[in-house]
Amino acid sequence: MIRDLERVRNIGISAHIDSGKTTLTERILFYTDKIHQINEVRGKDGVGAVMDSMELERERGITIASAATHCEWDNHAINIIDTPGHVDFTVEVERSLRVLDGVILVLCSVSGVQSQSITVDQQMKRYEVPCIAFVNKCDRSGANPIKVSGQLRDKLGHNSVMMQLPIGLEDKHDGIVDLVTMKAYYFEGDNGETMVEKQIPEDMLEDATIAREEMLDEVSLFSEELTDALLEEIEITTEMIMAAVRTGTISRQMTPVFLGSAYKNKAVQPLLNAVLNYLPSPLDIENVAIDLDNNEESVVLESDFDKPSVALAFKLEDGQYGQLTYIRVYQGCINKGDTLINSRDGRKVKAGRLIRMHSSQMEEVDSIPAGHIGAMFGVDCASGDTFVSPKINYSMISMHIMEPVISLSIVPKDNKAQINMSKALNRFTKEDPTFKTYVDHETGDTIIQGMGELHLEVYVERMKREYGAEVETGKPRVAYRETITRKAPFSYTHKKQTGGSGQFGKVMGFMEPCEEEFEFVNKVTGGRIPTQYISSCEKGFLGCMAKGPKLEFPVTGIKITLEDGGFHAVDSSEMAFQAAARGGFLEGYAKAKPVIMEPIMKVVIETPNEFQGSCMGLINQRRGIIQGSQEEGVMSVVESQVPLSEMFGFSTVLRSGTQGKAQFTMEFSSYKQVPQSVAEDISKKKADEKAAKNK
Amino acid sequence: MLKKDLILKSPVEKAIGLEHITEGKFGAVLSRAGVGKTSFLVQIALTQLLANQKILHVSLDESMDKINLRYDEAYTNLIDHVGYIDPQKAVRLWDDISPNKVGISYTESNFNTDKIKDYLRSFKKSDIALPSIIVIDGLNFDKDVSSILEDLNSLNQEFSVFIWFSMKSHREEIWSNDGFPVQLEVVKDLFNKAIFLQPVDDKIEAVILKDGDRINQKYKLDPATMMLAE
Repeated sequence: MIRDLERVRNIGISAHIDSGKTTLTERILFYTDKIHQINEVRGKDGVGAVMDSMELERERGITIASAATHCEWDNHAINIIDTPGHVDFTVEVERSLRVLDGVILVLCSVSGVQSQSITVDQQMKRYEVPCIAFVNKCDRSGANPIKVSGQLRDKLGHNSVMMQLPIGLEDKHDGIVDLVTMKAYYFEGDNGETMVEKQIPEDMLEDATIAREEMLDEVSLFSEELTDALLEEIEITTEMIMAAVRTGTISRQMTPVFLGSAYKNKAVQPLLNAVLNYLPSPLDIENVAIDLDNNEESVVLESDFDKPSVALAFKLEDGQYGQLTYIRVYQGCINKGDTLINSRDGRKVKAGRLIRMHSSQMEEVDSIPAGHIGAMFGVDCASGDTFVSPKINYSMISMHIMEPVISLSIVPKDNKAQINMSKALNRFTKEDPTFKTYVDHETGDTIIQGMGELHLEVYVERMKREYGAEVETGKPRVAYRETITRKAPFSYTHKKQTGGSGQFGKVMGFMEPCEEEFEFVNKVTGGRIPTQYISSCEKGFLGCMAKGPKLEFPVTGIKITLEDGGFHAVDSSEMAFQAAARGGFLEGYAKAKPVIMEPIMKVVIETPNEFQGSCMGLINQRRGIIQGSQEEGVMSVVESQVPLSEMFGFSTVLRSGTQGKAQFTMEFSSYKQVPQSVAEDISKKKADEKAAKNK
Repeated sequence: MLKKDLILKSPVEKAIGLEHITEGKFGAVLSRAGVGKTSFLVQIALTQLLANQKILHVSLDESMDKINLRYDEAYTNLIDHVGYIDPQKAVRLWDDISPNKVGISYTESNFNTDKIKDYLRSFKKSDIALPSIIVIDGLNFDKDVSSILEDLNSLNQEFSVFIWFSMKSHREEIWSNDGFPVQLEVVKDLFNKAIFLQPVDDKIEAVILKDGDRINQKYKLDPATMMLAE
């Protein structure tokens, strides 16, 4: 492994679905001499692209799980994480962004900045990942990379700077003009592998000169040397420009824009050069962990091989030799046979086999030094765990994880499927923190929860394909919640005398709405409730939150203030106060105007202009609120907020309403109160279910 | 209560009157470039939102985000104009009424009424209340817009929705004998209401050009906020 970290790049390729990022990855691997044939993503030749290692991904033509791969270009090591493009799998994107130092943001030269690009961009901002942009598909009809660069500026607020100009667009797309070297580059050979440098075509010279000046204007902000050279009109060297672009990019103050067509083998090599020239090495990025032994103080990790090791497990995969744990090492060096501690549970693990991956092919290595990405075999852990040397107790800062909003009951078809299903669920919950599962004690059904219909659908498919577990699924269910809307007092006495010692506990106070899930304030004075029973009261109140008194949905957003109470020297007990708290909760809750809340999704539809009106209509029919609509060339974007319960089967409706030409993305936005009429429907349904169960 | 207070302070309530905003078919806010047509149109729409009505704002030259920003600004200006209002209450009210506005941004060449009709039909289909007004901002009345107005006329008939336009006039043009800018003169029969905005000293003067017997009434507005000048 390359130990000079200046020559290492850990990069991701992020983009909207169908922007061609998997094709781009494939081309990159081809040019870096790792694979010797180029496969198309959708598997025309039945082989499928190398990065999409799951069968399901090949079939759908989308990338679900991120696979890490290693390649070398111009004496540099590049580790690439291929990230999924669909919103339902954004936890995967987020996890990858956590371990990356830089990203290539792939945009389609026709459709430009789409809603998913916006989501990915927000994630990049959260993890402060520097990026370069690649405007792909310049061979497509309607290609307009300059417009896309403008959108990057207007819609995402990037300081985008064109570093190249296209030589011809659409079917005449031949090559690029590099504005730094002021040369034209063409890509010859069967797979565009020969990059030929020529003079800029005469008819482009003027445009290129203007574009270079604009570029220099922007870039000079990041280098005094370059500014001086511009002002004094002395010779501007390529190195000066590149150094300035690198500074601007790494500080996230500019996004250099490159262009080409991965599918047509145009301009992938210059992009690889840009990765080396402009994206940061592990030395350029500050990584922070928290010291669990020192009050969770932040610690800056150093890419020093001799320091104690710190590594983050960012992805798990079940391989034929057991669990494969993908890790990024931030500090120290993990050697074969090292003993490590999983800082989440303190368990000791041994780094047995260490490998470096090229998608599904692997290469054994003796060590993974800081700054590199690799994988360990046979280590039992969950995704997001931190591994450290025994001397320290650090944890990488926890990742931003959202609560699931949709659930589905699954029933295995036979006994064999039952066993495999639990294996699969065990694996999936470890892999994906937004995927949860539990057994409903009333129905005995296994329930899976996730971030959207497609999210759960993919796991059900994976269960079948990878684990041979066929399951029948119930109707998707929305994760409703209950809350209160006003302050209400309670005063409840729990008193029981049925022979033997009795039970006595009295609680008085009030409940009110709050922002937090649950808050408990103790204002009891003068020992009206003895201190040892206060925690029992809290326990009693908290116990009521799991199942709301109104419709048995989980309760959130309640603050309970306990002000007063009473006890009996003999008959009071923890049990009695828990029961009193339950009684108090029920009493207060009934008076506090409880309501049902439902998850509201942000739905963004991208449709050809002619269907804009009908798409807005579809949202209208689903209790949706349209926030606005915007025309962008031939396409329109409709932004809206729609209750999740109304979104089931929406993809089919949208397809049939727009001749299959529109697509949509959906992500959780907030919880909002359900309208009265809908609340009545829900309670009726709930009552019917209960009646059916009791039969 | 807050809604009523806000409506009462709106310049639109003084200049047109809440109950008259939707009387007829078409209305126009005219001025030269940059005087405040859009801001005044947004104030008109805002009074409708405050009266629990829905509105549709179509812009042919501004992005969706810009439209939304204009409404946020207009609401803030109105709130500030009323005096002290509990900020939480103001935010809650805006959360309450703002979902009733829909902003659509078209490029002028792609603008056609079919898409709006498709959208409005979905209201009828789902039995949801229709918008009370449509604001069309940025239509170029220097060109021949008769076919567009004809389409919008039929839209008005089908959905009974009043349409407010912005109409850009030019400094050097001579007004018609009836006292209308040329852009309005050509289509005046279709319009029930017209308000002309012009800078006078350091204020904006709103003059009623057409609205039954209220012709030539004048109101002074603050150019920064488009609220009635004290």
